[in-house]
Amino acid sequence: MGPLWQVSRGGTLWLLLAVVVTAAPLFRYLPPWVPLVPLLAVLWRLGIYRARWGVPPPAAKVVLILLCIGGLLASFKGLLGLEPMVAMLVCAFSLKLLEIHSRRDALVVIYLAYFVAITLALFSQSFLTGLYISTALVMVTAALAGIHQDDSAHQPWRPLLTAAAMVAQAAPLMVVFFLVMPRLGPLWSVPAPASAVTGMSDRLAIGDITSLGRSSALAFRASFDGQLPERQQLYWRGLTLSRFDGKTWEPFRWGYADGVVEWQGEVSAWWQREVELRGEPLQYQVTLERQNGNWLYSLGASKPLTRSTGITQDQTLVSLTPVTRRFQYQVKSWPEALLNPHQLSPARRAIELQLPPGGNPRTRDLARQWRSETPDPDALIARLLDYYRGSFYYTLSPPALGKDSVDDFLFTTQQGFCEHFAASFVLFMRAAGIPARLVVGYQGGELHPDEGYLTVRQYDAHAWGEVWLADRGWVLVDPTAAVAPERILGGLLGAMSLDEVFANSPLSMARFQNIHWLNRLRLQVEALEYNWARWVLGYDSVQLEVLARLLGKVDSVRIGAFLLAGAVIALLPVLLLSLRIRGRVKPDPADHHYLSFCRSLARAGCPRQPGETPRNFARRCAQRFPASAEAIHAITDAYEDLRYSGQGGDPAVLAVRVTRFRRQFRWRSPVLSS
Amino acid sequence: MTAARNGFFQRRFDAWLARRLPRVERIRLDRRSVFTFPSRQGLGLVLVLVLLWLLATNYQNNLVFAFGALLGSLMVVTIFHSFANLAGLEVRILGVGAGFPGDSLKVEVEVSQRGRRHREDIWLSFPGAVPQRVALPRGEQTAIVTLFIPARRRGLRPLDRLTLETCYPLGLIRVWTHVLLRGAGVVYPRPIAGASTAGGNTGDAVEGSATTWGSEDFEGLALFRPGESRTRIAWKQLARGLGVYSKQFSDPVADPTWLDWHSYPGLDREARLCRLCHGVLEAAAGDSPFGLRLPGSESTLGRGEIHRDSLLRMLALFECEGA
Repeated sequence: MGPLWQVSRGGTLWLLLAVVVTAAPLFRYLPPWVPLVPLLAVLWRLGIYRARWGVPPPAAKVVLILLCIGGLLASFKGLLGLEPMVAMLVCAFSLKLLEIHSRRDALVVIYLAYFVAITLALFSQSFLTGLYISTALVMVTAALAGIHQDDSAHQPWRPLLTAAAMVAQAAPLMVVFFLVMPRLGPLWSVPAPASAVTGMSDRLAIGDITSLGRSSALAFRASFDGQLPERQQLYWRGLTLSRFDGKTWEPFRWGYADGVVEWQGEVSAWWQREVELRGEPLQYQVTLERQNGNWLYSLGASKPLTRSTGITQDQTLVSLTPVTRRFQYQVKSWPEALLNPHQLSPARRAIELQLPPGGNPRTRDLARQWRSETPDPDALIARLLDYYRGSFYYTLSPPALGKDSVDDFLFTTQQGFCEHFAASFVLFMRAAGIPARLVVGYQGGELHPDEGYLTVRQYDAHAWGEVWLADRGWVLVDPTAAVAPERILGGLLGAMSLDEVFANSPLSMARFQNIHWLNRLRLQVEALEYNWARWVLGYDSVQLEVLARLLGKVDSVRIGAFLLAGAVIALLPVLLLSLRIRGRVKPDPADHHYLSFCRSLARAGCPRQPGETPRNFARRCAQRFPASAEAIHAITDAYEDLRYSGQGGDPAVLAVRVTRFRRQFRWRSPVLSS
Repeated sequence: MTAARNGFFQRRFDAWLARRLPRVERIRLDRRSVFTFPSRQGLGLVLVLVLLWLLATNYQNNLVFAFGALLGSLMVVTIFHSFANLAGLEVRILGVGAGFPGDSLKVEVEVSQRGRRHREDIWLSFPGAVPQRVALPRGEQTAIVTLFIPARRRGLRPLDRLTLETCYPLGLIRVWTHVLLRGAGVVYPRPIAGASTAGGNTGDAVEGSATTWGSEDFEGLALFRPGESRTRIAWKQLARGLGVYSKQFSDPVADPTWLDWHSYPGLDREARLCRLCHGVLEAAAGDSPFGLRLPGSESTLGRGEIHRDSLLRMLALFECEGA
């Protein structure tokens, strides 16, 4: 229908800009050749725009398409996946840029650009990314407006202004939609963006946590309902590592689903039998950054409160799917609960006493010797901790260890980080015949002074031990606390100098904690990121709660009413702006006064005839009302001066005369007209 | 569009439209008369929204949800902007031209507004006509759009429904109306050459002088009247001191041509009108005055384009519906 819609020159420029803005940030996540495609396309298009180059010949287009397909096949194993999909879309809309003939071609580019701009949110969800995507959407909308508007030389920014205004008008309605839109679980499983994540892995070799100790990357944030526990109670359990092969520690079994005893919403017999609840429970919400596995962090014996999370026998909180994006969950924990207080099954006992066939002979000998001297497990533990306390040194840069790492640490170097102490402790206990296991996770966290939530960073990573004692079950023992109690009380930064922690990242924000205003700023930014993560990124987990608080009760009628009322309120400004169809033309002040003068004469029975000049009208009225003749002429003179003399003048003079005339004329006219 | 679908629903729709928007002199577009629906491009964006929803759901990504919601809201907001671009306009027909079958009739449409709103990218079209675009930049209140509609059969051609549509500002929402405005084009008969039995020059001889004042042949001198061209002053007579005279010329007048309905026996009405039309055109090309006699009406004698057109109009409207 209609003529062939051309894309205006202004529209083309906005389109190019939109493509650049949309594609630019994705290059961090895509193979390095992908950026060349939009770059080439935009430059070529600019060449066409400036009439320097022609449209690429069909052969060139075919070559480009083949190159792109080849590149995609070479860079990715398969074309199913997030990165290949986004790379393909970027290639597609870049190449389409080269053959825009009509408005419809431009639309294809624009719709792809909308889509690609939003897929950036799958790679990064930070607040800044959110801002960037908003900007990109405004730019793409400007391109959309640009291809529908006439080029106007004196208003080159018009498409951008239109787009910004419309997106701003759409924002309130977006909030309503966002709040109410029902969230479903994933419809089918999708490949996640693959890139390295700093953080804990599911195995521990000595030295792994030391390297984490230098990273200030965010691990998770937690906010507590009610009182925050003491710092020394904040042992965030991650994985329980029971298998030791002489070099690395691993969980006994990989595949937590086997070991899960209770999913959210279930009540298992195992839990009833093996966990004895004591003390006050803690309820808290954790916003976990994406990480390498599916385990979560909790404080001791826990009940999962979020859908598709569960708890295993060794008190590892797990999620059904790997945590490939920021994940928010709620837990209820009893840090003082007793775990397996009555007995340890023989199979379990064997697992927790497992030792590699050989290695670390001195440690084993010493353990057996001490056990025979000190048969009471508590006394044995106290003796070992005393031994640590005597001559050991807590450091982030421990000396290298040999093949028998625990022997080297215990008897030679005696310098180590938490993992050294924990691993040697567990090995010693096992050698002494006491069931023990290694636990990795985080310890402590930074309390945000205003918002009251804890921020746990990678440098809070920690390892500690657990031993099984009759009647008390699994007991937490942290040998690091014996050596460096300030680590537990004040965090890593309290135990070490900042220079030592951040030797490799001189510009980390966390490094400058001593500069007061900088620290305030850092805390402000973190609070923003936290609220962003909690209320926007994690909205699906709090949606029902938020709606319940807003509406009192969540049912379809209330949601419908909220949607309707919200939409009306959100659209009210737009309604007022756009539906003010009869924008009134404001009359010239001189006309305004003169017309009111004419109205009073009309009321007196002397209306101005169509086409009658002011002069003629005045003459006629003066004849009819001789008493007011002078005033009538004076007003007409003033009006003609204002309108026709071309020198402007002060409408106030006219206003005063008209007002005076009307006041006098009103009581004089009845006499005259009689 | 109207011709393509001629089924049951189309007829129902036309009948409904006829009730809702009857033929009027001028119309001010408002909620009653304007229709709003996503355009084809808008449906494309809906597809993008569905894909985004799938993406957000499968990746459980609330940020994608949020931006999807933003695009959806943008589309809703566009409804109001597009509607406001069309609503409030006043439309009337200034005039419709005349022509022969197969010609295009010129239609002048006035589009105006009372306010000062900026309006852009509004398309006007008649069925079968090339659409025309009109804009009312901020502050402008009137624009005149010229459209050309095909002329088909002889007679009065009342205007079809005029479609006004706009997708401004984002092209996502189409707002349109089909208004029926008073105004009709005149379609002359198709000129067909054909000999008349009685010849063209029969009829009453013209009484009185067979000349009219003109410029061809010298006729004589008359007293100069102020206002006459100086080139006509008879300088020789003036030089002789005879006074100011002007030279008078006259044009020879051929016998008047009467085009008569009864000159074409045996033909039906339309065929006669076609011959008469041809005759009018022939006569208009010649020098002699001409006139037209139809059953029940007779024109004056005259010459020139205006006279010709009035005769053609007589032929066009002769015994036609609606005339």
